Amino acid sequence: MSYKILAINPGSTSTKVAVFEDDKELFEETLRHTAEELEPFDSITDQYAFRKEVIENVLRERHFELESLDGIVGRGGLFRPIPGGTYRVNEVMVEELKAAKYGEHASNLGGLIAFEMGKTLDKPAFIVDPVVVDELEPVARLSGHPAFERRSVFHALNQKAMARRYAEEVGRPYGDLNLIVVHLGGGISVGAHHNGRIIDVNDALSGEGPFSPERAGGLPSLQLAQLCFSGEKTFAEVKKMLLGHGGVMAYAECNDMRIIEDKVQHGDEEATLIQNAMAYQIGKEIGKCATVLKGKVDAIIVTGGIAYNKHMIQLIEERVGWIADMVVYPGEEELLSLALGGFRVLNGQEEAQKY
Amino acid sequence: MKILAINPGSTSTKIALFEDENEIWAESLDYTRAQLDAYETILDQIDLRRGDIEAILKNNETAIVSLDAVVGRGGPFKPLAGGTYAVNETLLDDIREGRVQADHISNIGSILAHELAQKAGAPAFFVDPVSVDEAGPLAKYSGLPELPRRSLVHALNVKATARKAAAELGKKIDELNLVVAHLGGGISICPVEKGRIVDVNNANDGGPFSPERAGTLPVTGLMKLCYSGKFTLAELKKKIIGNGGLVGYLGVSDSREVRRRIHAGDAEAKEVFQAQAYQIAKEIGAMCTVLKGRVDGIVLTGGLAYNELLVDWVTERVKFLAPVSCFPGENELEALALGALRVLKGDEEPNTYI
Repeated sequence: MSYKILAINPGSTSTKVAVFEDDKELFEETLRHTAEELEPFDSITDQYAFRKEVIENVLRERHFELESLDGIVGRGGLFRPIPGGTYRVNEVMVEELKAAKYGEHASNLGGLIAFEMGKTLDKPAFIVDPVVVDELEPVARLSGHPAFERRSVFHALNQKAMARRYAEEVGRPYGDLNLIVVHLGGGISVGAHHNGRIIDVNDALSGEGPFSPERAGGLPSLQLAQLCFSGEKTFAEVKKMLLGHGGVMAYAECNDMRIIEDKVQHGDEEATLIQNAMAYQIGKEIGKCATVLKGKVDAIIVTGGIAYNKHMIQLIEERVGWIADMVVYPGEEELLSLALGGFRVLNGQEEAQKY
Repeated sequence: MKILAINPGSTSTKIALFEDENEIWAESLDYTRAQLDAYETILDQIDLRRGDIEAILKNNETAIVSLDAVVGRGGPFKPLAGGTYAVNETLLDDIREGRVQADHISNIGSILAHELAQKAGAPAFFVDPVSVDEAGPLAKYSGLPELPRRSLVHALNVKATARKAAAELGKKIDELNLVVAHLGGGISICPVEKGRIVDVNNANDGGPFSPERAGTLPVTGLMKLCYSGKFTLAELKKKIIGNGGLVGYLGVSDSREVRRRIHAGDAEAKEVFQAQAYQIAKEIGAMCTVLKGRVDGIVLTGGLAYNELLVDWVTERVKFLAPVSCFPGENELEALALGALRVLKGDEEPNTYI
């Protein structure tokens, strides 16, 4: 039995869509939204009807029969912390997304659009492994002070998809494997996957773990406090320093690792140090995860855009290659990962989770 | 060789006399807060403390002139390489004029050693102070150029214990790679590469939570607290350095009390203590990657290493990395004396403070 799925990944200024027939992509489109088009909307949530129409129009232009779809999968959104998996979008989720109960984010639109289209077509709508996936063990939740609880907010979709891809390649169930998955993108997350659950992961958004192209990652606590109390910077300024202008951006005034790599190849010492320091911190985070898994690690999987950089991979491998074999799956295929999540439910491999 | 070792603490001075490696006598002189509050600065306490040390020497019938060296605890001086240093005028000036990283009672250890050594006509030393900085350039990066990672480390005990662990393996400290975890009121976890401490979590700034310190905290959460208007910097500092960790979660810093609660069936105490072990293990794992996996041993030391629950939980997670050995407690006076002895015997050249 063959299924057709529409996958929707809304970003801040574009919506990526693709139709898959099983794991084969039939077509993919990136629909860009201009500032003027988005201007009339007060909130991101208000854009959902507009974006839905744009999607339907492009499908119609391609003479694609919407009725031939078996399901629609949207990029997750911000919900309360939930276990990973494919979720059937329900009324509760829709209400929370509309109210932006857990925050505004473009990915919130994924669930909303999928739900509305599904309702019209009378087909199921899903979301898959949103950033709020939280499978932390209780022991991983303590920070070091009761005023702060460690959270799990990270690149769950890609982490899980790449872990599953590896499982399939070695012919073992994901649920039987111990893996360390390293997502190297604009943010960096390193997750310890134990029998299909990500029992520890650095919270890349709250500032934990290695610095990344744009984010500072974990920082010296006392020094940070001193900076905050210096009276020289507002909260918003410090936050910007950490989240958009931290990490490589702060050290090199550049957030493109390809440019950094180019400088390294031309003998730039500073760029070399920065790249090495990033690999150093990534290595340390992987070492941490290895102890979380008590040394029983089947593979270290490195993925995300930076994983295309062979030199970077080599720098990381030098530091952690002794822990387990390293497998590199460069890039991230969000639309495919979404669609595969939908297929697993449609073909009965997996039960849809209920929110 | 007779060596007098001096370790000034906030409300005590601990001293001991060594004949080569052997302790002849040791004493701890305790002060009340009220007694010390009479002095405005730490430097003002020097005469009091020196006088009391001299009295103890007399009581023990140890003539000052019989001493071959006096060694004092080092303080948070400027960043420097590890080892035994001769106390010189440059250092004394830096301490007296506050060119140090923090105002801490250990700063006067070298002054006390110097003044007593002068009377003895013998050399004065300090050994492996907390400001030992042997971290490589990569370890200096945090994620923001404004906040470079700093090396402040329980270097005295880390190095002394690394030497002991090496000796048990029939090696010298510069012949192997170890990860040493100093588990005390603060925790320092160090990759020790051929004797050099090439990275450390810096107990005030990060790493595992310890009996009193919070260690690494999620950055945005910490920022929000800083800007909440509810605390001054001093209060926040106290919260994360004095009242974090076990104190924050359980209201006690004494791990023996935590163990007692765990044995009495207190599930919360167990979870917190397990989390501490979990974080210690994670930091050890991180430091093994600094050494690229070439680790000859993992060494647990400090007061918490007496706690068999903690040692077992940590060992379970890290034994795959390298053999784990345990040297509980810390003997600062002995570590100081041995540092001086190495120089007196010519095993090591003293470093020069510049």
